[in-house]
Amino acid sequence: MEANQSSATPNELPMTNTVPVIFSGKGGEFFGIWIVNILLSIVTLGIYSAWAKVRTQQYFFANTNVDGHRFSYLANPIQILKGRILAIILFIAYSLVVSFFPIAGLGFVLIMFLLSPWLINQSMRFNLRMTSYRNVRFSFAGSYGEAFLYFIILPILSLFTLYLAMPWALKKMDEYLCNNISYGDKTLTTNIETSQYYITCLFVVLFSLIAGVIVVAVLAFTGQLGSFESVESGSISVGMIISMVAYLAIFNAVAAIYQARIRNHIFNNSEFEALAKFKSNVSISSYAVLLLVNMIAVIGTLGFAYPWVKIRTAAFLARATEVELQQNSDTIFDTMEEQKSSFGEEAAEVFDVDIAII
Amino acid sequence: MRTINGIYYYPASSKAESAELQVTGDVINLYYQQRCILVTQVDNVTISSTIPGVNGEVIFADGGKFVATDNQAPFDFSASVLGKIEKNTAVILAAVVLVPLLMWFCISVVMPKAASAVVLYLPDTVAETMGEQAFSIIESTLLKPSELSEEKQLTIKNLWQTTLTQLELPDDKFVLHIYGSDYFGPNAFALPDGTVVITDPLLKQLADNPDAILAILLHEIGHVENKHSLRMVAQSVSSTVVFALIFGDIEGVGEVLLGTGTSLLQNAFSRDMEREADDYALNQLIALGKSPEAFADAMQSFLDLKSDHHTDSALKYFSSHPDIKERIEKAQKFLK
Repeated sequence: MEANQSSATPNELPMTNTVPVIFSGKGGEFFGIWIVNILLSIVTLGIYSAWAKVRTQQYFFANTNVDGHRFSYLANPIQILKGRILAIILFIAYSLVVSFFPIAGLGFVLIMFLLSPWLINQSMRFNLRMTSYRNVRFSFAGSYGEAFLYFIILPILSLFTLYLAMPWALKKMDEYLCNNISYGDKTLTTNIETSQYYITCLFVVLFSLIAGVIVVAVLAFTGQLGSFESVESGSISVGMIISMVAYLAIFNAVAAIYQARIRNHIFNNSEFEALAKFKSNVSISSYAVLLLVNMIAVIGTLGFAYPWVKIRTAAFLARATEVELQQNSDTIFDTMEEQKSSFGEEAAEVFDVDIAII
Repeated sequence: MRTINGIYYYPASSKAESAELQVTGDVINLYYQQRCILVTQVDNVTISSTIPGVNGEVIFADGGKFVATDNQAPFDFSASVLGKIEKNTAVILAAVVLVPLLMWFCISVVMPKAASAVVLYLPDTVAETMGEQAFSIIESTLLKPSELSEEKQLTIKNLWQTTLTQLELPDDKFVLHIYGSDYFGPNAFALPDGTVVITDPLLKQLADNPDAILAILLHEIGHVENKHSLRMVAQSVSSTVVFALIFGDIEGVGEVLLGTGTSLLQNAFSRDMEREADDYALNQLIALGKSPEAFADAMQSFLDLKSDHHTDSALKYFSSHPDIKERIEKAQKFLK
């Protein structure tokens, strides 16, 4: 047991210890939890969904282990339920106003737009406050002003540059999210480079262009290009199937390229000073294959493969991750700040503005 | 007495030690290096709910925490029903069958019924405001003034007025507009407040068959009388909420699959409403002493626009309207 190691080593040079991230969740086991969650959520008219969320999170957190210690998810279902009810009332009011009174609805859309940076912050704050490792919680310190700048102003500005500034905007968003994370009294420092975002985006654009040209060429060569005219008449042609499959494959590959490269870059350049550094080595090709298999499995089983997909993705990402720990990991103090309301997190989910750091 | 191996975490700090938890009846003893460092009662601690594949955890009143490392040691003082059914094969198999069935029942029976019921309680002003606001947006973006002669427009408006009078429908509610539109092409649509718009190309297409025009106008009145726009809103909002509640924050492919499911569902609702409006039109045609054949003629004119039309294709599930041939056949059978 490594738990009481560091007290044994007196003030020498800080020794580091590189440890893997171990994910021990199992597809079959999680399937049971998942399907029972869904059944109980239906039967209780949605009320159980709060418990379902907590149990799912707890399963994934508790099965993620670093250096002999697992993560914990601390949220309590009642707290989630309260936030969820509020969020759903807001969502229903919002949808009804927008559809019944389209002109007045524009005002509501604007309000939601202005609210979205706050929701992003609240969601990050809640999720991190509810995450603990070694009985010490994480936290998030972002402010509305900054979130507004990075998530609203910069994307709008990048529109005017014909999206040329978008990679830079994406970098600023990630930087904002990471640099505001703390573990106990230690703050995460991230030194990511704009150039990596430009290289990645260029890679993505080139890949999509080349792949797109190849697909069109194949269709033209096999004489399927003209068959699109029959769409109106209601029959599905071979050409449509080929292009649909190709579209999904390209979409997956692009997601794999972006996520793998950016995740590696962020992890390899972030650290809790004098505590932990991260290493991520996600291979683009293996990740693309993983995502493709995930998609085929979920569609082919009409969703029943979803639990298996979640487990194997978590296991894949854990295998690609390492943590370089200094031997003072038992000297971190929890901060006392409380976070009771889950409203922001729940609203971010219902309105689909929640974000995850890859 | 039961002994559980695990790790003890000090309150509010990452300090951790290997420890042993001994439970005797209601009393919990925490041992560290053979010394008892904490004694408390089951009532004073929070015990995690049992989840298959997750080691149990005890949180003490001071914020200290004990996490079991021994997977085989469930805390029998926290017997949890949930943890048991989540790994019970029979329950899981039953859930696999029940979930799709219940989902189907909820979506195709409960939701439409609930939506129709709720819509009845909405005050008329909702439909009025919705119609007015939607109309002003559509008019300024998608419609242009009609190019039909005053005379032709007047003929259609007279037809409309006579029909309203004969069916005893309020003419301050039902208002007909004739517009040109590149966006809609030959088309007609109704807004929830009773505003009906018919386009120039459609009127030209049916110029020599006023009864077919009447059939289409009646179909649109059918949408208004059955409050279809309002029901559509109620159903789409409730299906979004239900999916969000049941499936939670599903991501990636799952989200795409759910999105596709929702739009297929939306289209199924829409097809049902079109059939209802068709029924309304057919019944009112008979009430007006016209032949339901007029409706078939109107549909046939749409069919003629398309060169080759195949039915029985998977694409019908992606359509917001029922198959035209099906609609024609229904109109023809209505004769009996």
